[in-house]
Amino acid sequence: MKFNKGLSAALISSCLLAGCISAPKTTYHWGQYEKLLHDMYMVPGEATSIVQIEKITTDIQQAEALGKPVPPGVYAHLGYMYSIEGNNVAATDAFNTEKSLYPDSQTLIDGMLKRAEDFKKQL
Amino acid sequence: MMDTYKKLSLLSVTALVLLITGCQTAPPYDYSALIASKPKSILIIPPNNSSIDVNAPYIFLSTITKPIAEKGYYVFPVAVIDHFLKENGLPTPAEMNTIPLDKIREHIGADAVLYVSIEEWGQKYQVISSTSVVRSTLRLVDTRTGDLLWESTAFAQQQSGDGGGGILGAIIAAAIEQVAGSLIDHTPQLSQWANQGAVNNTRQGLLDGPYKKKE
Repeated sequence: MKFNKGLSAALISSCLLAGCISAPKTTYHWGQYEKLLHDMYMVPGEATSIVQIEKITTDIQQAEALGKPVPPGVYAHLGYMYSIEGNNVAATDAFNTEKSLYPDSQTLIDGMLKRAEDFKKQL
Repeated sequence: MMDTYKKLSLLSVTALVLLITGCQTAPPYDYSALIASKPKSILIIPPNNSSIDVNAPYIFLSTITKPIAEKGYYVFPVAVIDHFLKENGLPTPAEMNTIPLDKIREHIGADAVLYVSIEEWGQKYQVISSTSVVRSTLRLVDTRTGDLLWESTAFAQQQSGDGGGGILGAIIAAAIEQVAGSLIDHTPQLSQWANQGAVNNTRQGLLDGPYKKKE
């Protein structure tokens, strides 16, 4: 069973390597998101929060130009980058955009915003 | 006596044929639990790592959102979640994999969790050629019931180094590839292929989610 799965995955991957499957059309405009995720852990110097904000903002503009939706998680990720920068207004804005685009994120986003509020009150 | 022997050998031949054909086409996955659960949102927990490459979990994490989101599910932002879990006292993927499902539902609101275990990752050093490989097991679990909804193996490998020029040429090519390979990491690309393959496999892949755009 395990062998079957491994084999079929190997066939698919060799097929992909040989280039016999063309890249499928995507629903979303992904831009730099995956590369930024990779870089922020592997080469953090090349994916500082400032760099990420700039690149994600460009991706969002490109998505609009292409008429494609921004992928799940990208606005929340942008909000996270703004919060690292201490720009809480822009962070809250981005988190709320994630929530309105993707209501599945509501529990996570509401929880994060509430904790940020509570933290501010403590100061 | 002879009859029994014939029957037995016929039976073993049949069994052998079944085994062989079984290897050629994997049976379709039993999707009944996934269909019953109808998850809309998937939380990807940073992977458990059984490979020797300490970077494997985060390289994997950068390549899993796209295939699952394109399949029609809401995927929680992986880096935000990683940060969120670290802030809440879970510094490593191993610890993150132990969070009770009811806590995940309460604080994150995910319908399902994808647990990932990385089994193999990176370059294998061989004499003639060098092979890069990624292999992980994926398990999708319902956060309400704890039921297993789907499981798969994400696997890809890339072989290189046969540079022609006979055995010596091949050995030199392999050495160059291994040196170059230490600079150029093939695993992000392989991991993309492996995850695409696991999610989109026609008989064993993940079913379309509620947000899949119909063409």
